[in-house]
Amino acid sequence: MNWRRWLSVRRNPLGFLGAGILLCFVLMAILAPILPRLSEIYDPVQGMDPEILGTSFPSRRHLLGTDAWGGDVLSQLMHGARTALLVAVVAAATSVAIGTLIGLVAGYFAGFVDGTLMRLVDVMLTLPLIPLVLVVSSALGQLSIWGVVLLIGFLGWPGIARVIRAQALSLRTRDFIESARAYGAGNVRIILRHMAPSVLPLAFVYMSLTANGAIFLEAALSFLGLGDPNTVSWGMMLQWCFKTGNTFRAPYWMLPPGLAISALCFSFYLIGRGLDEVVNPRLRRM
Amino acid sequence: MAGYILRRIFQTLLTLFVILTVLFFLFRLMPGDPASMVLDPKMPPEAKEALRRQFGLDRPLFTQYLFYLGNVLRGNFGRSFQSARPVIAIILERLPATLLLFTTAVILSFTLGMWIGKLIAWRRGGPLEISCTLLGLSFYTVFLPWFGMLVIWIFSYRLDWFPLGGILTPELWITGASTWAKAVDVLHHLALPLLVLTSVMFAGSMLVMRSSMLETLEQDYVVSARAKGLSERIVKNRHAARNAMLPLVTSFTLSLAFSMSGGVLTESVFSWPGVGTELVEAVMAQDYPLAQGAFLLIAVVVLVANVAADVLYVVLDPRIRYR
Repeated sequence: MNWRRWLSVRRNPLGFLGAGILLCFVLMAILAPILPRLSEIYDPVQGMDPEILGTSFPSRRHLLGTDAWGGDVLSQLMHGARTALLVAVVAAATSVAIGTLIGLVAGYFAGFVDGTLMRLVDVMLTLPLIPLVLVVSSALGQLSIWGVVLLIGFLGWPGIARVIRAQALSLRTRDFIESARAYGAGNVRIILRHMAPSVLPLAFVYMSLTANGAIFLEAALSFLGLGDPNTVSWGMMLQWCFKTGNTFRAPYWMLPPGLAISALCFSFYLIGRGLDEVVNPRLRRM
Repeated sequence: MAGYILRRIFQTLLTLFVILTVLFFLFRLMPGDPASMVLDPKMPPEAKEALRRQFGLDRPLFTQYLFYLGNVLRGNFGRSFQSARPVIAIILERLPATLLLFTTAVILSFTLGMWIGKLIAWRRGGPLEISCTLLGLSFYTVFLPWFGMLVIWIFSYRLDWFPLGGILTPELWITGASTWAKAVDVLHHLALPLLVLTSVMFAGSMLVMRSSMLETLEQDYVVSARAKGLSERIVKNRHAARNAMLPLVTSFTLSLAFSMSGGVLTESVFSWPGVGTELVEAVMAQDYPLAQGAFLLIAVVVLVANVAADVLYVVLDPRIRYR
């Protein structure tokens, strides 16, 4: 497959727009530790400006204003980028790993195993994710940020499993799999050594779309008050703003985190769509 | 066709059974058992034992599971920890508000997405297509609670055109206004949540309609319709768009879960008194029976909508009927 030809700005302007936005957020996450080094009032967790101690309009001292306790919004926003990217990478990697494995197993064994696993996928895809995450996290109790990330990762695999399974179904009849079997390779070895490498590029494409969902879910959980209260995240910032009744009185506190979540989701979605066009020839014509 | 519908209903019941089973074992996995959540730790052990027996918690897990299934089948979801009222009564009270918002938003976004998708496929490559795609995708990925707050801030707080939240003005209903005035009041409250949910959802159907329409426009029957000398409007609406609609119904079924997720968040931001708000509140208050009941009801709404969409698909496309 000649993929490189389709990886150009002219053919895929939206995908590159997404990559550009993502790059900005990565820079933001890398530069985040600079502000707290300048002065301890910029510490994203404990920092508060002793001269303000409340919400304040953006100024030279606080470029995006301060929150209800005099904490710097910009510094929190930059640290939020770290949390969001961490959530995106870890949760998406978890989902992709589980989804690829289940898809490969279903496609390789076909028959009953395939039928059962795909029914499970159907059930999970019919269920709305937000209520599902809510009810599961209520059963699990207060979660740390890692708990939230794993929970999201463990619920996000069905879509990927379905795509990988379709690939695996066609792979299992190819000659190289047949010959591996003839050489006496076991099922596990065939799945991991011979089939997995062929589907990995496809899995990575879907990682981008999963990352978009993971960021949204983590932010939504935090916003609803079920996130990790010890983490600086954009969803938490919004929740504090909403909870302390500052949504309308301090819009400079409400606007940046929501915009950041939306922009990052937007960028991952565009990248995912763009990559989908690259590996999925059927979509190119449109 | 009757066979097909029966099979779909059977599948749905099977799905519900899987959900129920997973829910049961999920909540039994919790540290401690359900009784220890309600019980006062200072209670004497004998009283605790009596209560556990009353809840059936001294029996084997499998017996408990059967009891649970039996109770759910009879519509008995237990009582809310907070208000001690039966869960089923609370959630059924909240159902109409959710159905109102969910169905209007689904129908409106579907119609809007179809219409815009048709239009931008027809005028392919123009500035309209690019702006609609970008706008649609931005709404599709916007962080819904934040977008809701933004809309409330602009239209309710600054402009004061719409109420801040809720579903009705209590004073109006106490004083006994006319049915007409009450309906207008509810619509007035519905406007903003509907706007938010529709904006977030329409892009999905818009993009599917666009690509499906582009495919249809290359079909021979569109060429022959043009060759017959039919007006462009009739070719677009009668010959191309009708056939392009079919993939849209499939994607619509898949998007129902997404819409319901959005619905829960919208309800929560607008304090819309629906099942979603109830679910969020129950989860926050660790009211497990209520949370389970609200989740089940939401799942049932989505599953029923799924079956309805599938049946609609069979009615729309005669090619499927005889398979």
